[in-house]
Amino acid sequence: MLNHILSAFRTYMHGDGAMLLPEMQLFLFAIGTLAMDSWAANAPSESAEGSPVYQQNYWNPAIALAGIAFSALTLGMLRARIMQSGELAGFHLTLVIDNYFVFFSALFLAATALVILLSVNSSTISPVRQGRYFALLLFACISMMLMVSAVDLVVIFLAVEAAAICAYFLAATPGLSNRTPSAAVRFVFSSALGSALVVYGFSLLYGLSGASNITQVARALGSRHNVAKVIALSHQSSQQGLQMLQLLQLRLPEAVHWHAFTLEVLPIAAFLLVSVGIIVKFAVPPFQAAFNDANGEKDFGIPGPVILYLSGAFTIAAAALLVRLLFTIFADSQNIWWYIIAGLAICGIGYGILGSLRQTNLERIVVYSSIGQMGYVLLGIVAANEGAATAMTYYLFTYLFMVTGLFGVLIAVGEKNAPAGFLSDLSGLRQRSTVMAVLLIVFVLSLAGAPPTAGFFGRYFIFHSLLETGHRYIAWFVALSSLPLAYSYLRIAVDAWRGNKSASDSTAVVFGVREAIVLGICVFVSLAAGLYSEPFTRMARYAFGQ
Amino acid sequence: MLPVTHYLFLSFALYFIGFTGVLTRRNLVVKLFSIEIILNAASINFMVFARLYGAPTGQAFSILVVAMLALELFVALVIIAAVCSRWKCATRDYGKALSSQLDY
Repeated sequence: MLNHILSAFRTYMHGDGAMLLPEMQLFLFAIGTLAMDSWAANAPSESAEGSPVYQQNYWNPAIALAGIAFSALTLGMLRARIMQSGELAGFHLTLVIDNYFVFFSALFLAATALVILLSVNSSTISPVRQGRYFALLLFACISMMLMVSAVDLVVIFLAVEAAAICAYFLAATPGLSNRTPSAAVRFVFSSALGSALVVYGFSLLYGLSGASNITQVARALGSRHNVAKVIALSHQSSQQGLQMLQLLQLRLPEAVHWHAFTLEVLPIAAFLLVSVGIIVKFAVPPFQAAFNDANGEKDFGIPGPVILYLSGAFTIAAAALLVRLLFTIFADSQNIWWYIIAGLAICGIGYGILGSLRQTNLERIVVYSSIGQMGYVLLGIVAANEGAATAMTYYLFTYLFMVTGLFGVLIAVGEKNAPAGFLSDLSGLRQRSTVMAVLLIVFVLSLAGAPPTAGFFGRYFIFHSLLETGHRYIAWFVALSSLPLAYSYLRIAVDAWRGNKSASDSTAVVFGVREAIVLGICVFVSLAAGLYSEPFTRMARYAFGQ
Repeated sequence: MLPVTHYLFLSFALYFIGFTGVLTRRNLVVKLFSIEIILNAASINFMVFARLYGAPTGQAFSILVVAMLALELFVALVIIAAVCSRWKCATRDYGKALSSQLDY
């Protein structure tokens, strides 16, 4: 009996199971983190003032990081396997393992590891039962990996929902953070609206094609013009119409129930619902939360590392999913829908820049301008040539490290006494720590797109691919809109470098090994990808199998 | 079977009601219901198309949508309860009806 089970398990792990192995390992380690939490409960001791003091528990982040390391190792093995035998598809063609999956999964694993390192000892995360926080991060990472691996509408929907529910809990669980999660409600609602739109769009796609695999959907959508013509003919009362009707009943019985007009209109509706839904679900919520100016709160009500995770990894996952869906399902009508995506992107860039210019809260400046950054990625979808594919992946890759670095500096600078909430808190940072001020300037210059850094090349590649495909005006819009965006970033740095703060506040910044590791990695990528971009562009090309 | 267009009109009407509800209502619970109405519209679509194509995928999808709907309702209600207990209902105003306390 046991042998039976074992051999069945072995067959499974050699077949479809191997495709899920990175996710499975993360899952096991997430469960382990939760178990460890109840085993090594963090009992508070009384401090002199009578308030409870919690010991820092290093077990949970260590287990979570170990899970990520194992998962990354397995991912490397999968990569070697698909290099030999081409891409794998399994679970009845619902999941694929291709270069795209490997690239983005590695990116999500890196993002999760960086966020875990930044969250250890963070004063904004409640020390009570921290295991659930790290477990949630791992679960979110699993669902994002499934999002880029799924090629079936059902599985995409489930992965998107799982990621969203992790995000809800990360953002909104009151016990998780020490801050009041008043903004989290907006987050949950706009995200739920996004998923409702996506599901409605999926239902239309399923209806139009009768299949749920996205390549089959694409094939069915590609032939819809001809089908619509035939249906229109069959509705005529002439002899020819009757013949057509009989032919339809024989060859394509489902088509008899359709109307030619609906067949032409529904794909447009489905496109709008899916693209807007994904953008609303993952890109807008952090910005919705940013609206919450009530009570002059210093922060979002969402802990800093979580904001970083939402505006970094989640936005990248959304962009990756959107690229896969648009280029698979709607690939043949790209010459029509690029107007819509360009409009959305330009609105996003404008909104992000205008929003960030009138903010003085640092987290909000970063979050608003990251809408602008995602707008540039969407413009890569508009160009849609080989260069644009490289540009998008390069942009997403470097953006993750730049934004993590910037958040890392903010967290490291502001953690102990007053969180670095406002621009004025950073004023005179150079007197407190020259290293931090220099790092801040590097990340800010990179995000602003100054020449020797990664940010510049990302935007230049987008600009170049837009010019190549003849979108001249949009390309110039990219170039010109970089100026106000650069201003909104650079004012952070200028204040930190030149500002003077009263002597009483100028405590030196102490930062530990973990912050040093995170910032080191981020500054390396931000500079190296700019100074010597060849290995990084090769990596970006790898994602699209080039 | 009726023409697909009829069912599509029904589901689009539901979708429109839900969408308007999310955008215009201020009460959190009503907003939540509106989102559920959109999901129900999608679920109707799936059932119709499953019937049309005679394939079980649509039915499975619609069951999953219902399951997700329940889950999302649960999560959102928990979050509303948790947030309200800290944030608004902490200063409970007994003169006001509960519904207006949930206004956002």
